[in-house]
Amino acid sequence: MLEVSNIDTFYGKAQALWDVSLRIDEAEIVALIGANGAGKTTLLNTISGLLRPASGSVEFLGQRIDGLAPHTIVELGVSHVPEGRRLFTDMSVRENLEMGAYTSGAWKRKEETLEQVYQVFPALKERGGQLARTLSGGEQQMLAMGRGLMSKPKLCMFDEPSFGLAPMLVLEVFQVMKSLREQGITILLIEQNVRHTLEIADRGYVLENGRIALEGESKKLLKEELIRKAYLGL
Amino acid sequence: MPESIVTILDIAIGGLLLGGIYALIAMGLSLQYGVARVLNIAHGEFIMIGAFSTFTLYTVLGINPLVCLAIVGPIIFIIGFLLHQTLFTRLRIAAPNPGAYEASSLLAAFGLLFVIQNLALLGWGADFRAYSYLNFGVNIWGAIFSANKLVILGFAVGIGVAFYLFLIRTRLGKAIRSAAQDPQTASLMGVNINRVLSICFGFGALMAGIAGVLISMRVPLNPAMGLQYTLIAIIVIVLGGLGSIPGSFIGGFILGIIGEVVTHFEPSLSLAAYYFIFMLLLLVRPKGIFGK
Repeated sequence: MLEVSNIDTFYGKAQALWDVSLRIDEAEIVALIGANGAGKTTLLNTISGLLRPASGSVEFLGQRIDGLAPHTIVELGVSHVPEGRRLFTDMSVRENLEMGAYTSGAWKRKEETLEQVYQVFPALKERGGQLARTLSGGEQQMLAMGRGLMSKPKLCMFDEPSFGLAPMLVLEVFQVMKSLREQGITILLIEQNVRHTLEIADRGYVLENGRIALEGESKKLLKEELIRKAYLGL
Repeated sequence: MPESIVTILDIAIGGLLLGGIYALIAMGLSLQYGVARVLNIAHGEFIMIGAFSTFTLYTVLGINPLVCLAIVGPIIFIIGFLLHQTLFTRLRIAAPNPGAYEASSLLAAFGLLFVIQNLALLGWGADFRAYSYLNFGVNIWGAIFSANKLVILGFAVGIGVAFYLFLIRTRLGKAIRSAAQDPQTASLMGVNINRVLSICFGFGALMAGIAGVLISMRVPLNPAMGLQYTLIAIIVIVLGGLGSIPGSFIGGFILGIIGEVVTHFEPSLSLAAYYFIFMLLLLVRPKGIFGK
């Protein structure tokens, strides 16, 4: 479904990604693991078009998408739920969700999609008229995820959706990931919580200093020495 | 009616009339600076162009100034839109960060100010021009106002309210609001950010142009008339809170009423009072009334 091939990405003159390749198949959950500053967010930003790779290519459903503008890439079916939620805090919960359905195809079906998202996150329905900034941290994260689903994506990329949440809510986030996959949505997931992430993911990639250090099936990764030492503290 | 009440009414309505224009031009600048991040120092030049176009259309072709709204408005919108698509979008893409863009776009806007002003000097000359339209008195509870003032107020309020509803209700309006808060995330939602910012700049120019059409019914025109309005618009958007469209609208009326009160006691001090309020605001509440 998504094929990232040998990309190099720069911030100004500083190189953040080196020869990174990554593949996601349909209906998979793929985990992206790595320390802070390893380049995880940069990779997501490169896929969603916020950054352009200096070399290499990104293909989605067989079409080159590197170099396309972010609004075109969403239109093709790639949704990016950014790090730190990035809600429109001065807009209502409902308006935030509507913005998620901004692409012309999704806008026509937004009432229907809204009902589906409310089924996944019932708390959002009650708070529809409230300003996004008045929500609790957990509700804000639910809203960010719900907004990302409003475009009816084929591939949804989540950047640390459980960051700063209470343990109970973290489990809920992972439950949501599983149920999304059951609905046929392919997921690329960045998470700090490596054990949980690898338990629900099919495959994983480990980024270190902007390079892919390890990749493979989650079960195998959980047994890898590097992962056990660096991320699981074993 | 007692004399003092008539005086108060006189000041209040006078303030609203002045405030209506201020609200309109400040909303325009708020769209350009608060959303599109261009501190358009040439904002007043669009007012001047709107005013002179109306003067020519009315005195030469006999077109009713209110009809001019429908002619001048869309043309100025298109000019503003194209200007942003070409000049400002390029500067935005070339700038390494938002701060650098604010600086380079400000300088470009300065250049624009001189270009437009000099073109107007070539076209219309340096003399003051004026025409008379709807210049008869209307009696409101004992105070007399010229009809054109009331028409100006009606249009300013109508356009302000209509634009507010547009921002709240429509898909494009929501895109503008989201782009004002976080352009990068708005683009992830599917908003074509370059186009939306250009539309904002175009709307800003449109509001200046419409204000110019309305102003031309009341004040003598001159190619250098724009800058004073730009300065007032800057004061109002700081007063209302940077980036807040309703803040600019209400702030315009507040400044208009203050201006009218000061003018009542000492006409020569009204501009000084504006700057005094501006400095006081920057010191005491720099985020303005509706700012965060």
